[in-house]
Amino acid sequence: MATKKNQILVPDHVYVPKHEIIPKSEAEEVLKKYNCKPTELPLIFVNDPAILGLGVKPGDMIKITRNSPTAGESLYYRYVVEI
Amino acid sequence: MSIQAIKAIDGIRFSVWSPTEIRKYSVAEITAPETYDEDGMPVQGGLMDGRLGTLEPGQKCLTCGNTAARCPGHFGHIELAEPILHIAFIDNIYKLLQSTCRSCNRLKVPQEDLNAFQNIKDKQAAYTTVSQKRIPEQIIDKAKKAKECPHCGKTQYELVFTKPTIFVEKTEIGEHRLLPITIRERFSQIIDDDLSLLSYDPVTARPEWFILQALPVPPVTVRPSIILETGIRSEDDLTHKMVDIIRVNQRLKESKEAGTPPLIVQDLVDLLQYHSTTYFDNEVSGIPQAHHRSGRPLKTLTQRLKGKEGRFRGSLSGKRVDFSSRTVISPDPNLDLSEVGVPEAVAMKLTIPEIVTEWNIERMRKLVINGPEKFPGVNYIVRPDGVKIRLDFVEDRSTIAETIEIGYLIERHLADRDIVMFNRQPSLHQMSIMAHYVRVLPGKTFRLHPSVCPPYNADFDGDEMNLHVPQSEEARAEAILLMRVQDQLISPRYGGPIIGALRDFVTGAYLLTKDDTILSVQEFSNYAMLGGYTDALPKPSTKAKDGSPAYTGKQLFSLFLPSDFNYTLTSKWSKGTGGKANDVVIKNGELISGVIDKTSIGAEEPESVLHRITKDYGNAVGKNFLNSILIMVKQFITHYGFSYGYGDLEVPEKDEQQILDDISETYDVVADLTDQYEKGTLKLTRGMKAEEALEAYIVNELGKARVKAGDTANDSLDDGNAGKIMATTGARGSALNVGQMAGALGQQSRRGNRMNEGYANRALTHYKEHDSNPDAHGFVKSNYRTGLSALEFFFHAMGGREGLVDTAVRTQQSGYMQRRLINALEHIRLEYDGTVRDPHGHIVQFLYGEDGIDVQKSDHGEAFNPSRLAASQAMIDSGAKATKDEIETLTKKYTKTFSPRLTKLVTDALNKSGLSKSGIEAVCKKGLSLYDKARVEPGQAVGIVTAQSIGEPGTQMTLRTFHFAGIKERNVTLGLPRLIELVDARKKPVTPTMDIYLEKENKGNREKAIEIARNVLQTKVSALIADTETDYSTNIKLILSENRLRERGCSVAEVEAALSSNKKFKMEVTGELITLNLVEEVDTATAIAIRNKVLNTTVKGVPDIERVTLVQKDDEWVIQTTGSNIAKVLEVKGIDKTNVRTNNVFEIAGTLGIEAARFALIDELNHTLGDQGLEVDSRYIMLVSDLMCSRGYMQQIGRHGIAGTKDSVLARAAFEITVPTIAHAALGGEIEQLRGITENVIVGSNIPIGSGTVDLYMQVSKKK
Repeated sequence: MATKKNQILVPDHVYVPKHEIIPKSEAEEVLKKYNCKPTELPLIFVNDPAILGLGVKPGDMIKITRNSPTAGESLYYRYVVEI
Repeated sequence: MSIQAIKAIDGIRFSVWSPTEIRKYSVAEITAPETYDEDGMPVQGGLMDGRLGTLEPGQKCLTCGNTAARCPGHFGHIELAEPILHIAFIDNIYKLLQSTCRSCNRLKVPQEDLNAFQNIKDKQAAYTTVSQKRIPEQIIDKAKKAKECPHCGKTQYELVFTKPTIFVEKTEIGEHRLLPITIRERFSQIIDDDLSLLSYDPVTARPEWFILQALPVPPVTVRPSIILETGIRSEDDLTHKMVDIIRVNQRLKESKEAGTPPLIVQDLVDLLQYHSTTYFDNEVSGIPQAHHRSGRPLKTLTQRLKGKEGRFRGSLSGKRVDFSSRTVISPDPNLDLSEVGVPEAVAMKLTIPEIVTEWNIERMRKLVINGPEKFPGVNYIVRPDGVKIRLDFVEDRSTIAETIEIGYLIERHLADRDIVMFNRQPSLHQMSIMAHYVRVLPGKTFRLHPSVCPPYNADFDGDEMNLHVPQSEEARAEAILLMRVQDQLISPRYGGPIIGALRDFVTGAYLLTKDDTILSVQEFSNYAMLGGYTDALPKPSTKAKDGSPAYTGKQLFSLFLPSDFNYTLTSKWSKGTGGKANDVVIKNGELISGVIDKTSIGAEEPESVLHRITKDYGNAVGKNFLNSILIMVKQFITHYGFSYGYGDLEVPEKDEQQILDDISETYDVVADLTDQYEKGTLKLTRGMKAEEALEAYIVNELGKARVKAGDTANDSLDDGNAGKIMATTGARGSALNVGQMAGALGQQSRRGNRMNEGYANRALTHYKEHDSNPDAHGFVKSNYRTGLSALEFFFHAMGGREGLVDTAVRTQQSGYMQRRLINALEHIRLEYDGTVRDPHGHIVQFLYGEDGIDVQKSDHGEAFNPSRLAASQAMIDSGAKATKDEIETLTKKYTKTFSPRLTKLVTDALNKSGLSKSGIEAVCKKGLSLYDKARVEPGQAVGIVTAQSIGEPGTQMTLRTFHFAGIKERNVTLGLPRLIELVDARKKPVTPTMDIYLEKENKGNREKAIEIARNVLQTKVSALIADTETDYSTNIKLILSENRLRERGCSVAEVEAALSSNKKFKMEVTGELITLNLVEEVDTATAIAIRNKVLNTTVKGVPDIERVTLVQKDDEWVIQTTGSNIAKVLEVKGIDKTNVRTNNVFEIAGTLGIEAARFALIDELNHTLGDQGLEVDSRYIMLVSDLMCSRGYMQQIGRHGIAGTKDSVLARAAFEITVPTIAHAALGGEIEQLRGITENVIVGSNIPIGSGTVDLYMQVSKKK
């Protein structure tokens, strides 16, 4: 868990896939598509270094576009929670 | 089948029994310490009181009136004379005492704070889940520190807890013991709101109930007494303990009534506390264990539940079963792959229930006449009215055979073609239990085909295996559909065949298919028949020496290839002998050229002929192909007469002399190197010390010597040498083995080093101290053929022992890792929407493996292989080449459901293929159907398969911790220890390292790179000084070394700056001398402490980076480090921030985020497994990583992570820390929802995974 102050953020690091906040409407669609409650999604902490610069707040949904060795590219969603 | 009333358990609620409840459930108060009177009758009010249930079969229970079989037993109770602390809740008692006020009993946290916490708790917002869980911990931390109650303002006192059961309060007046009665009084005042903030459920668990006033006495069925042969009654451990409690309780009661001095009463109370504590748990630290008269420690309640043999793991999660058998296994190559040979004696004990029908009644009658002693026969007959007749006791079986009617149930002997499950422990993966068809054989061992050994990991040196007979049609159907050997040919670990030809089968296949093998028509037809060939024979393609028509071996092999099969590959033989690539050519089911060896039909060989046939024509065809080939080859090699012996290892005298000469030459070189070392002229490399360098050179020379000896020996053997054939075809052994047998054994090692120690300055007493001759350090000049000298033998035994120890340790470690993996992943399954979830709906992956492909059904990890598909289409394709547009439209049409990568693969393959339009369409169609077949099915136990696929290779990994990776100076943990470290999600790996890439401008510039490396490397003051001096009271002198300053690129000023923050001294700098004048005079110890602190001060660089090395990778300088600190390294100028890598995954999670950590974890796992040459599909690695990262932070695979945070109480209790888990569940009034796997196994219902996912919902017809 990231708690250090003034840390250097490296959102374009080779290890970090693309994170983006998705609008409420789209988030709702995701929940509907997977027929689940937000807490059933994988979680991400609000102070995660990869999303610190995006201006997220708890309750947002993050869409992650990963490079995949099997599928080429794949989508993953995480629900932002308080620590 | 009779209709059974089924009651399903919906859930289990855990709670704490209140004294009222204990008394309510009690059927008798137990007061008498005696159990039985002189007549052997239970004493009324004693521990064996008839009201507590009954043990003897004839007796009736005094409470419920049932006999032993139906009486569940009833609780009694003991009224304790003094309240007693319950040991299982002692930690909670301590925490509550610490955090509540001693006078008003509120939580010692201001009301505002409590309200704030209550708000978080009440908040409906979903995103507070994590914060809610941390409330109790936060409150307790705060409350502990309060010196004064924020509610009533009373002063709070320090509480001292002496384990296990004594609480003492330190007041102004003095120390004062908190008695259970006081604690109880206090706890009963705590308000419900405070309790629920601490996540207690005040309804089911009031804290005052942690103090026992009445002790429940378990029913006698829980603690049955046994009667020994001598006729003496022996009581259960629990009864013994209860007797102790009753005795002390009685004495305490009496002394209280008699008015005995309080001190003595207190002693009795403590004794009562001791006995009740050990009654609950006899392994509490801090108090002596209670012992049986014989000296054995008593097994009380906790010990009954805990551990491997405890109730949870030993009796509930795993039970003994009927209809099973175990015996030694032996090989039988004449069996079918899918068969198991069962001894007749076993077949006559194991039975299969079969209902008598119109169609089988005649057969059944015959079986009944045979009876239990003649095979095939019957052991039992069950009449439709439920009466079971045991045929052993039937005089005249032919009469009873006549009475048999339709609807009777016959329990007949196991017979040929029955399906059974066969298993060998350790059951590390799904292929450890497979369904075989029975073949009843004479003898006393189970027989199996040698080629099914790899999945079981079996050999025939005395291994035993288990056999289970499914008893219902459903079970048999499931076994046939899912578990048959032919359906397990492809391993789900890497999507390649795990079963295939082995050992002599491989040799035989080579001998059969090599170019000069000729078979007469007679031989050919015999072999063809043996392989089960039924069609017309092909035309002989060659002539024998006498001119008669003859077949080639290749023709025989080709008989069993599908007629439209095309393939080409490079054989191991060709690779080994330097032949051409793609030597094996199969065209239209005809082996044109090349030899068949391990790469074509071997076990654990992906992309082989066998793999292709299984994949393209189905499991049944694959199995039959393998079967035919194996039996034929077996017969062929038997006739051929292949053997290997001492004579095959004989080396001509001249070569033997050559080997000895070469070795003595090497010895001269070694002596020379030692000379150089002693003179100090040895050339040093890679920053090694002289001794290290010498050792490395010697090891290298000796290694070369062994290789040379081996080569000489190998070269002297001719090509037809049996050993060479086996090594080059991949049947068994390698050139190294031959070299060791015929050449020289070479250097023996321990822990990767030569034998350097053992006795003072020598390895064995037979040598002189400091002997530098390689002989004295375990170099074995002899080979296995000539035999070892006594001294060599000793060295060899040393190395041999290491291997044994390694294996023993490894099996334990990897076994535990496997258990943890299984426990963490068992409940993960694939849902109907393609997501991977736990049984509570938490998503782990949105699409399994990110592409939804089942590895076992895939083609070596790919849904299908488009270029191979195109290639085989090309063979029959005709017509004009399709245009680019046509290809595009067609691929678009068919690849809609494909992943982006697969779409690209298909498009590329088609564009390259040059097929016609119809050809393209055919490929697309075939591809789509293959893709659909390769998808995972809903309900699939993806978690378990993942755990097995990662755990199973663990047993094959090396234990050797250190290995030189890349450069010699960097030690990296590899193999099993590293794998365990990764799944443990450790905060710090044993060997942290970093790879730091540089910014574009600095990449190619060595000087720049060195400068940056200096800024990365941590430089402490101690690294810069030549010497220190101190007078141990007023000053410390640091004498800096000019050389070292230059080496590290530091200046005196920098050292000064680094030390300036320390206020304990003033600095005086004169040239290279820094004098630290201490501000105040100190004693010696403090002076030394200050000096050490100064020496440890970082002058320059990043903390924790202990060593840096520059490495050139593709024209680019990369800094490799020992030690890792990514957060600080990112601050260093000149590095490429986007490409700084570390092997410390936990650190990545903190600095780059959870997604980066997942990525790094996948990377590390892939490398760890890949380095050992173990192939594990990336889908499994992704699933484990996704699960470990799914909660926003790194979760360990184990009790502190995933297994410990499971929702199910029973699953957690069955894993580890059984009793505290249950106690904790009771506090919160947790409800077991029985959704996972372990829970359902424990309560004995169907497990909701795989074929158990499916339920039948039936609409009950509405009344009209």
